[in-house]
Amino acid sequence: MLSRPFFAHHGTAAYDTSKVVTVKGTMADFRFVNPHVQLYFDVKNEKGETERWQAELTAPNKLSRAGWDKHTLKTGDSITASGYVSKNDARTMWINKLIGPDGQPLQLFEQ
Amino acid sequence: MLATIAALCLANALRGQTATQPAAQNNAPAKTQSAPAPAHDLTGVWMMRNPPGSNRGFTNYTFTKDPPELTPWAEEKFKQARASNGGEFTLKTTNDPVLTKCDPPGVPRVYFHPYPFEFVHTPKYTLMLYEYDHMVRRIYTDGRPIAKDPDPLWMGTSVGHWEGDSTFVVDTVGFNDKTWLDRLGHPHSDQLHVIERFHRVNFDHLELDITMDDPKALVKPWTTTFYYELRPNWELGEISCSGDYLDFSNFEK
Repeated sequence: MLSRPFFAHHGTAAYDTSKVVTVKGTMADFRFVNPHVQLYFDVKNEKGETERWQAELTAPNKLSRAGWDKHTLKTGDSITASGYVSKNDARTMWINKLIGPDGQPLQLFEQ
Repeated sequence: MLATIAALCLANALRGQTATQPAAQNNAPAKTQSAPAPAHDLTGVWMMRNPPGSNRGFTNYTFTKDPPELTPWAEEKFKQARASNGGEFTLKTTNDPVLTKCDPPGVPRVYFHPYPFEFVHTPKYTLMLYEYDHMVRRIYTDGRPIAKDPDPLWMGTSVGHWEGDSTFVVDTVGFNDKTWLDRLGHPHSDQLHVIERFHRVNFDHLELDITMDDPKALVKPWTTTFYYELRPNWELGEISCSGDYLDFSNFEK
């Protein structure tokens, strides 16, 4: 192993990697872009209010080789994302597990 | 966390293995499962993959477990470096010129990007195409000698030749002194001479012996071996170090 899949180009120090947070949300925007794929989704908090989250995956080339393309997720899709959240902004996440709209986990790393 | 990552990687690796290989061979060393290397041919897309069971946790950011012995000149320069190793950094805490300025990475710093590279052979030169930021190296194989007094370039000036059927030896000089050797920020001078020996062990496996020689920066040559696997079904994509890369401070607020 040693190809550390979570190794981000811009580093992990901004994230709290001591705990994994899981949220369910509805996709608002999906950007299949360099250097890391971006997800924006809305999550209902405990008070029933909608909060916008931003999250990132690995590079689009790596996801392409895991079967993704720019249409893999679309606005309105239900997702469940687990990962590390930003130390300073609770609504920014580095995803390391993602359940897609069909209830199945999406492959996040090239083989 | 690392244990979890290791477990995930292992699980992925095992899934890949069972999908393509008979179960009986799963425990055999990978090298014995591959066809022989073709002669004088490195064509294809290669991805770094350390041998199973090896514990080389440093290969994402430096060449050896122990640091190289630096000259006083290099020690002084190294003090200015704020590393981008191990992922534990932000764009505000590192001064890695690749990350903060989109400088070309140079050789061999280019091998610390977690993306594949491709060899393309032509009659007079071999191209090395790196997925990271469209980096290209043109390695002349037309018999010309290594350049004596080349102009400084980010990726240097290279010549290559074959030793036997399966080892491609690349000599590179003519670097500027702006790049780092690794993600820890070990420096080099414009006297850097890099020798890469690409040894195709068999059809699927490549061992890269790297020697960095720099009398101004290194007390003695710094050497390592990196390991690669052929990815016959992969195509190089695009990783562009554009402004997008530098916008990540947005996520570090």
